[in-house]
Amino acid sequence: MPDTHALVNDFLNKLKKRKIEGSKATAKLTAELLRSVISQQRLPHTNQAGALIHAIKAIGEQLTAANSVEVAVGNIVRRVLHIIREEDVSLTTASIGGLSLQGLSDDEEDNPLVSAAAAAAAARTTLRPPSLQTLLEDMPPHSAAAAAIPHSSSSAGDSEDKTKSTDKNSRSRKLKHNVIETVNELIQEIATCHEQIAEQAVEHIHQNEVILTLGSSGTVIKFLCAAKEKKRSFRVFVAEGAPRYQGHTLAKELVSRGLQTTVITDSAVFAMISRVNMVIVGAHAVMANGGVIAPVGLNMVALAAQRHAVPFVVLAGIHKLCPLYPHNPEVLLNELKSPSELLDFGELSDCMDFSTGTGPPLLHVANPAFDYVPPKLVSLFITDTGGHNPSYMYRLIADYYSADDLVLQQRPTC
Amino acid sequence: MWWRSASFILDRNDNESVPKPESRLLSHMAPENPNPPINKISAYYQTRAAHHAVVTSDWLAQAQAAVGPDQDAKPSDPDSSEKPPFSVIQEFNSWRKQPDLAEAVAAIRALASVIRSSEANTIAELQSELKTASDSLKSWDTTSISLTAGCDLFMRYITRTSAFEYEDFNSAKSRFLERAEKFGEISYKARKIIAMLGQDFIFNGCTILVHGFSRVVLEILKTAAESGKIFRVLCTEGRPDRTGLRFANELAKVDVPVKLLIDSAVAYSMDEVDMVFVGADGVVESGGIINMMGTYQIALVAKTMDKPVYVAAESYKFARLYPLDQKDMVPAVRAIDFGVPIPSKVEVETSARDYTPPQYLTLLFTDLGVLTPSVVSDELIQLYL
Repeated sequence: MPDTHALVNDFLNKLKKRKIEGSKATAKLTAELLRSVISQQRLPHTNQAGALIHAIKAIGEQLTAANSVEVAVGNIVRRVLHIIREEDVSLTTASIGGLSLQGLSDDEEDNPLVSAAAAAAAARTTLRPPSLQTLLEDMPPHSAAAAAIPHSSSSAGDSEDKTKSTDKNSRSRKLKHNVIETVNELIQEIATCHEQIAEQAVEHIHQNEVILTLGSSGTVIKFLCAAKEKKRSFRVFVAEGAPRYQGHTLAKELVSRGLQTTVITDSAVFAMISRVNMVIVGAHAVMANGGVIAPVGLNMVALAAQRHAVPFVVLAGIHKLCPLYPHNPEVLLNELKSPSELLDFGELSDCMDFSTGTGPPLLHVANPAFDYVPPKLVSLFITDTGGHNPSYMYRLIADYYSADDLVLQQRPTC
Repeated sequence: MWWRSASFILDRNDNESVPKPESRLLSHMAPENPNPPINKISAYYQTRAAHHAVVTSDWLAQAQAAVGPDQDAKPSDPDSSEKPPFSVIQEFNSWRKQPDLAEAVAAIRALASVIRSSEANTIAELQSELKTASDSLKSWDTTSISLTAGCDLFMRYITRTSAFEYEDFNSAKSRFLERAEKFGEISYKARKIIAMLGQDFIFNGCTILVHGFSRVVLEILKTAAESGKIFRVLCTEGRPDRTGLRFANELAKVDVPVKLLIDSAVAYSMDEVDMVFVGADGVVESGGIINMMGTYQIALVAKTMDKPVYVAAESYKFARLYPLDQKDMVPAVRAIDFGVPIPSKVEVETSARDYTPPQYLTLLFTDLGVLTPSVVSDELIQLYL
């Protein structure tokens, strides 16, 4: 336990001091941290899933509070919670199935059937988000299943007590084991998301096309290089992406792979966009309505693309998909970075200095890190699972997240 | 090349000659039918007006004349089990009169009373009785979408759950009754959930435009005000129901700054608005909404000026309708009092509601969560397949 505390605190510090760059690295580290928490968590005999969920939620609350702009942390926490719930449900239905098999060999035949049916119904209803189907059904299916489990287990006979208790122990070990296995798969998925997305490059980039991108993104580099390897010849316009000028590094990288590249300033995007066939960019996060939190400058590129009817394609791994709806993303999901990236402290330090002169300084420097691109400007999302419309995001969210986990804050009274 | 035929002249001639033979037939059926074409008042909007207590005296006289003296004076049948359709509608009416109760909840409670008074012995028999009752409710007022949606939802629930889970008829019956009673609670909780979701989108210093009187939207604004957010509201007047006046009253009670606009002033004020909130009478399969007349207009203006339009609707308002244009729905008419007599040759557009297509809506707040309009058809498919 002290081990995990130290790990968590260490991670929290890194998040607060913004030492981890990029959502992929953050997601991977979060998943690894949660995996070690799960493996070292002691579980009670009953309701293990509940205990795990409670523990993960508590840590998740701390992590998201440390860096609210890095939504990948919250995404991974919610993914892990969803995994726990799913594994719990599949274990429950498997054990009910096992018990009903035992029960069938007994004289009583009615009860296991009823319990199996009720449990199946419970399993069907547990993990679905609230929907019209379940509007009229409420807790009773759960309580019926919960009542059915002890009922059928008691009807299984006293001679099977020993097998029951070993069953429970193996069940508890199984839950942890399954969850950790699935979390490992999650980590693997995060690690290979670039390759999965790059596989689809050939379908989207055609011969002699002109692609525009801004700044630098690992996903975009791999995407373009994969198309190059499949013998597509195309040109790339790279907008430099002030103030960090990461476009320069991207241009160098592309040239070293043999791609024809042109570097332009961000302000030249509107001028050059009419010569471009497609815009391909990466994202920091994708919100539930299909809106994109992207490096600053991309909203302008999206508007230019819409104006000239150029498809705006966003590459994003599934770990970037956030189940929350943005209600003031320009403010709440944005960060102001250091003004030294824009202006050297030396030249204008007397204008910006509080100590000289009377009153507050007249010169302010704003360096926002992100832009919000509304869903109507995005033509296509390419994720590890394929290409999707912005209006399709809700389906991916329903697949990967549970509705109960949207709010990570623990409420004292449920 | 294309010229419009003056078909409206032909239509007018037709209309003048048609009603006479119909009216003789209808006078026999008048006590049951709340929508006699003679006076053309939709029962749904009658109820809404009654709840809102903004009724002009001659409209009221018209309504009473149309509906006849039977409506409220109907004694409760001691042998109600003999005539289920009659008692369903009477039951529904009695529930509907309560101002805080939604139509769908009243419908489901009426269907629950059918279950209670039914003498069926098998689930199939009970189901067919419910189907008859639900059909009669739906045909009694064809204009109300939440009534239809509520009936359909309950019928769907009965069909699905009775299939496998209960061998015992009595326990099934009691469970249906219990769920139907609980539905009222669900609808109340739904408003709370929607209020919690919606008030997140209201930020300090924003200006909200509201149209129509929706109890759900009122709940959202009240919740936001109670959590200390500072915002102001522009209410459209909402002729002819004068919903804006009522809404302004309610908001003034919770100390939210309100400004009233006439309906024509919406475009004029739209640039100082940050978001538009409307309720819905029904949410259709395409993700669009059917709401009070004027909603489409406001959504068009908001879209042009890039303002988000948020809809607050409970999930039981999702209906399996797909209007292709404004006239593609059952017409719901509402008499309009202009205050001065109108020459008889002048027609009046009396439709009470319009259809707003999904591309003009930004988000829907429902008790199923925040949804984009494309999710609605997905939900409906899941329910009905």
